[in-house]
Amino acid sequence: MRVLDSIKNNLFQPDKELEGAHYIFFKIFELFVASQAIYLMWYWGLYTLRISDVVLPLGLANYVDISFMHANNLPLWNAGIFSALVGFAFFRVGNKWLYGIAFLLLHFQYVARFSIGEIPHSANLIGFSILCIATGLIFFEAPDKRYKFILGSIIFFAGLGYTSAAISKLIGTGINWVDGRHLWLWIGEKGTDILSREGAWSPNFLQSLALKSIPIATIILMIGLLSEFFGFLLWFRKTRMFIVTALIGMHIGITLSMNIRFDAFVAELILIGYAWPFVIKKLWPEKSAYGKKLTRFI
Amino acid sequence: MKKTSSKPLKILGYMLLVNVLLVSTHLGEFWPFSIYPMFSQAGNPWTRAMITEISDEDSLTWETTSREALNGTPVSVKSLGVDQIDYSNFVSKTQNWTTSRLEALRYMIGEEHIQDRNFVIFKVNGRLSESDSVVIEYTPQFLFAADTTILNPYLNFNSSVVK
Repeated sequence: MRVLDSIKNNLFQPDKELEGAHYIFFKIFELFVASQAIYLMWYWGLYTLRISDVVLPLGLANYVDISFMHANNLPLWNAGIFSALVGFAFFRVGNKWLYGIAFLLLHFQYVARFSIGEIPHSANLIGFSILCIATGLIFFEAPDKRYKFILGSIIFFAGLGYTSAAISKLIGTGINWVDGRHLWLWIGEKGTDILSREGAWSPNFLQSLALKSIPIATIILMIGLLSEFFGFLLWFRKTRMFIVTALIGMHIGITLSMNIRFDAFVAELILIGYAWPFVIKKLWPEKSAYGKKLTRFI
Repeated sequence: MKKTSSKPLKILGYMLLVNVLLVSTHLGEFWPFSIYPMFSQAGNPWTRAMITEISDEDSLTWETTSREALNGTPVSVKSLGVDQIDYSNFVSKTQNWTTSRLEALRYMIGEEHIQDRNFVIFKVNGRLSESDSVVIEYTPQFLFAADTTILNPYLNFNSSVVK
């Protein structure tokens, strides 16, 4: 029980008195999430216009024939309605369920866009963030409680996701997962993707290094697995900054070794992993006090 | 340290419960809920896909080959406005190549791009060899030309010339 108490006290910080800098940070964070979600809605919506067949139904598409979103302009209407809802919700104009409805539209856009075989995870944290903001606004009224629940729950699911990814690897392959030859195989796979995407590919410095030596490739995988496994340390304030730095390093390593970019994921990790309200207060001690006026937008 | 009220924890608990229920009944994925299973199966052979362009249909050979001996020039699918991962999954995960599935692939690539060009659709297979190296093989699947789709005659498809 002490561990559970520690987790909830670290996630929700009940004893913490919020200051103006916290609310300034919150609206910057929310602006980031909202703008990323709107961007994804339009990006996915425009691409969905090219899709005419369902290969792999995901999410609610298992129960609703998602082909109604294909071969017409519905994805663009969906993106437009989503943008308007999120725009109103950001300024807390209208019903507290707006983000909840927007989340549902986002889910439909995702399953319509990714009905042809790919299951990307780069937008999962943005999806979780919209869900947690929606839940926070629906169930809490006080600005400080909304702030604490929304950020605490997002951090919880981010940490859970990384640790879950590591456990999936240990269950799927075992400790042998870190065998450097596995990295060789993935470099070949991702190299093929780049060759197909760009029409040309040759290995970069890190890939060449890994391909020359099994021990080096093994060390790269080992660092990655350990960083993921300890993702749950995000839940604790004292370790958050260190594990988020390790995770960002891991993502940079994945980009260099496997050409997989998680830009929005990393940007959000930077936002939730470091003490930005403290930085804002230190840099602008007087101006940050005005952040209290933002409470009506929390 | 003051204890937090139970409401945030209860709501988080319900969200976690929904998370567990959805991922456990949907093969680990119900966006945005996921167990993040990517790369969990290490060392398995993989299949991807790519496109090459050949000058004329007669220069096409249907044998499986290496990158060095690849038939034609690799085409950037990005330049065609196609997402590589989508394209690759579409080609590699389709089990039964029906006429409508082939039409959907042509639609994805864009008929406008095929009007005056000959595209060869490849499956690319990678595996670890016993001598600790990665073997990558390229197998032509179809030829897409302006008004023609030809299937590799050496592969086991249900029909020969679809269009």
